[in-house]
Amino acid sequence: MPFLQSLMDEYDLFAPAQLAEGVSVYKKIDQTEEVDLSISNAQKPAKEIFFPQSETMFRYEKAGKESRITSTEEIKRNRILLGARPCDIQAFSLIDHVFAGKEYTDTYYVNKRKATTIIGMGCDHPLSTCFCSSLNGGPFQREGSDLFLIDLGESYLVELLTEKGMAFQKNKFFEEANEKEISLAKGVEGKAAEKIKAAIPVEGIEKRLDQMMESPYWDRVQEKCLGCRVCTYLCPTCHCFDIMDEARTNKGRRVRNWDSCLSSLYSQETSGHNPRPTNRERTRQRLMHKFNYFPKNFDRIACVGCGRCTLYCPAHFDIRQTIKEIQEGGDK
Amino acid sequence: MNNPYFPVPTVVKKALVETSDRMLRTLELRFLKDEDAQAFHFVPGQFCELSLLGKGEAPFGIASSPTENGSLKFTINKAGVVTTALHHIEEGAEVGIRGPLGNGYPIDLFQGKNVLVIGGGFAFTTLRSLVTYFLHPENRNKVKDITVIYGARTPGLLLYKEELAEWAKRSDIRLVVTVDQGDKDWKGKVGLVPNVLEEAAPAAENTYAVICGPPIMIKFTFPKLMALRFPNERIYTSLEKRMKCGIGKCGRCNIGHLYVCKDGPVFSYAQLEKLPRDY
Amino acid sequence: MEQTHKAIQDSIREKAKELLSSKKVDVIVGFGEGTLPLRATPIFIRSQEEADRLIWNSYCENNLATYLYKLSQFKVGLVVKGCDARSVIALSREKRFKHDQLYLIGVPCQRMVDRRKVKKAVKGEILRVGEQGDEITVEGEDFKKVLKRDDFLYPSCQVCIHRTPAKADVLVGNPAEESPLVEVHPDVKDFEKMSPEERWRYFEKEAGRCIRCYACREACPMCYCTECFVDSSNPKWIDKGLSPSDVDFYHIVRAYHQSGRCSGCGACERACPMEIKLTYLTQKLNQDVKELFGFETGVDPDASPPLSTYDIEDRQEFIK
Repeated sequence: MPFLQSLMDEYDLFAPAQLAEGVSVYKKIDQTEEVDLSISNAQKPAKEIFFPQSETMFRYEKAGKESRITSTEEIKRNRILLGARPCDIQAFSLIDHVFAGKEYTDTYYVNKRKATTIIGMGCDHPLSTCFCSSLNGGPFQREGSDLFLIDLGESYLVELLTEKGMAFQKNKFFEEANEKEISLAKGVEGKAAEKIKAAIPVEGIEKRLDQMMESPYWDRVQEKCLGCRVCTYLCPTCHCFDIMDEARTNKGRRVRNWDSCLSSLYSQETSGHNPRPTNRERTRQRLMHKFNYFPKNFDRIACVGCGRCTLYCPAHFDIRQTIKEIQEGGDK
Repeated sequence: MNNPYFPVPTVVKKALVETSDRMLRTLELRFLKDEDAQAFHFVPGQFCELSLLGKGEAPFGIASSPTENGSLKFTINKAGVVTTALHHIEEGAEVGIRGPLGNGYPIDLFQGKNVLVIGGGFAFTTLRSLVTYFLHPENRNKVKDITVIYGARTPGLLLYKEELAEWAKRSDIRLVVTVDQGDKDWKGKVGLVPNVLEEAAPAAENTYAVICGPPIMIKFTFPKLMALRFPNERIYTSLEKRMKCGIGKCGRCNIGHLYVCKDGPVFSYAQLEKLPRDY
Repeated sequence: MEQTHKAIQDSIREKAKELLSSKKVDVIVGFGEGTLPLRATPIFIRSQEEADRLIWNSYCENNLATYLYKLSQFKVGLVVKGCDARSVIALSREKRFKHDQLYLIGVPCQRMVDRRKVKKAVKGEILRVGEQGDEITVEGEDFKKVLKRDDFLYPSCQVCIHRTPAKADVLVGNPAEESPLVEVHPDVKDFEKMSPEERWRYFEKEAGRCIRCYACREACPMCYCTECFVDSSNPKWIDKGLSPSDVDFYHIVRAYHQSGRCSGCGACERACPMEIKLTYLTQKLNQDVKELFGFETGVDPDASPPLSTYDIEDRQEFIK
């Protein structure tokens, strides 16, 4: 597609691409044919664009007693994130609180955020597992996007929303939308909004959980959890990571990799003491963090209702059900 | 933009094994670049991430006081990959530093009050920083009475034996050093820290207590502080938790909504009461 | 099919109530209704009143033996398919639990439906699923399609000849006719035709999607090490990122750690969010173990696993 090629000529393009039938990720596009905007949402969330699963922080080289460190924080080319859904985009603003907050700035994340123009895309066919509307979101939420696409079938309506978006005003592949197209878009949007029927009751969940720290509920909730990392890695808002050195004789790098609070060794101290020794403490940590600790710090629930954890959990954990149970006091 | 993950180079000026079991080693580090030394301002209780390229990073409380110009001291317990490597490096070796990190002891609150310092084993590191700070002529008058109770399992396991000897000679500090088990040369006190505290019975009025030690010591000492009528708002401790980034991003050290690295590691017991028992 | 399922379901519930009321077990581990079509979910039942939550259908795909390590202080009633029962036998050979701790509710399996394959057969989200006879009906917002059940089974189920749990304490259905739907696992068949270079490319392509989530490891009942080799920092065998050499190493070593232990249940493959093919590796290794040592995991409870047992008759021609 010539439009995509024109983007790639000027920017590094990141968009959803299929790795295998039914399996997609957001990745750097090398050939325009890779881009697939038809999928509802990629398995791996768009947070990967700003917070890669594995990222070099700096490289080092040792010569005798001296060493030289070269940082990898510089972004050489501006970027475009095309086709991210409103849920994933909302997640960026949540992660911003931690990584781009007032105390200490995560240079790697912020540099990528600054260099990226986000072309969001409305969801005209939300899934039954989507509940973004219950969490300050919605299938056509524009917040966080610089440009916003609405699929009209034969074409896309493009809304230019921010200064970064307005830079595309004179783009040769865009033409002024007419009345018919605008009203068609409104129709698509209206239909989609109706589709998200389920209203998941999150109001007051923080206060509920304040009372539940020692509840027997946590023993039941963790029973079927396998303690893998699928939910945390596929979650658009989870952002825990590990820092390690990888050494090859005199050269090496310091790298950060995604990590998960559900891993048994996550909080294990060198002395052998583990404050979260069983799955009970770990699943409690995950749920408390999302629905109580994060809101305490930033007044926002760290969940965007994308439904990935429910879709891909091998034990078929359903977070919507968990939220309802918590709101009912945790009696199962 | 300043990259908070980038370590700043220092060099090992001196290394000294503190304890008879050879598990604790104090490193004295000097910044390679003057501008880094100038920019480094810290308060007792803060920590740094020490980095050995190829091995990794680990957090250590700063054992030296800001009043001891020119060098930073860290006492390392040999336990894992990074700490073992820090035990093997020699003078002149390069160590990366990120810091100062954390909140430090609330020395402003201590102004005009008495300070009771209770330490156990190798948790005494940042307490050394705190005591040295207040013993400095410029700071001594900021607080009233200073009482230090420090215990180790055996005399050989006491840290900072030189400093302890110096403090013992002074009249402006009440120092009680004790061991659980003496040896043939030990002429000092023998007794567990909680019991020694009870015996010493420092007044709780107008006094701030700072306690750092192994969990078992804290478990038995804390009730004694309660019995002496120390309120939770005036008992401080420095928490240990597994850390990685040290700047409140990676999520590892969180306790409830707070991060030990960024909102701590120093907390009052009043604060800890409100947090989940996740440490 | 649905009648068979209903009969089995009723038997499971009845048995569960009996076991719980007689206090023969503290907890029943079985399957409950999923909240999405094509899914069932593991459930833990502790009282008779709850026992009616137990179900049986074509989506009971998890290997529940993987939860045994968490329940070591309880007496457990475990619902097992043929493959799951084989894992239980393998675990008992490795002394992972005491025999009087476990009561096996054996279900002769009708083979499990591959929910991903079903999803790919339609365009759009599946909202309702039904089963009549040997057909599956899937419905979405604007489609309704009828599929032949036998065309949509998991590969490991297609080759299975141990559908009836051996050594179950009770069998809640008629023993299955033990003949496979296909002789050779479809992915293994393709794999065996490949040259070494092609095999490596195929493996790399599959493993290349890996996100190190360890769902495969956690879903597997035989992966129970408290410190997995990937977590070891001293010595550090592999790094934790996405470098292909590390990812490939993980998959190959995990497959090899399964030799002579894997029951071929396929839980690993089903757990993977990136739909990486995994059973071709373990199945091929199982085949090799059978050929070389005449051993199949969990079939004969008295047979010694060849790779963890020393025998004076062991072949030694590889020692030169």
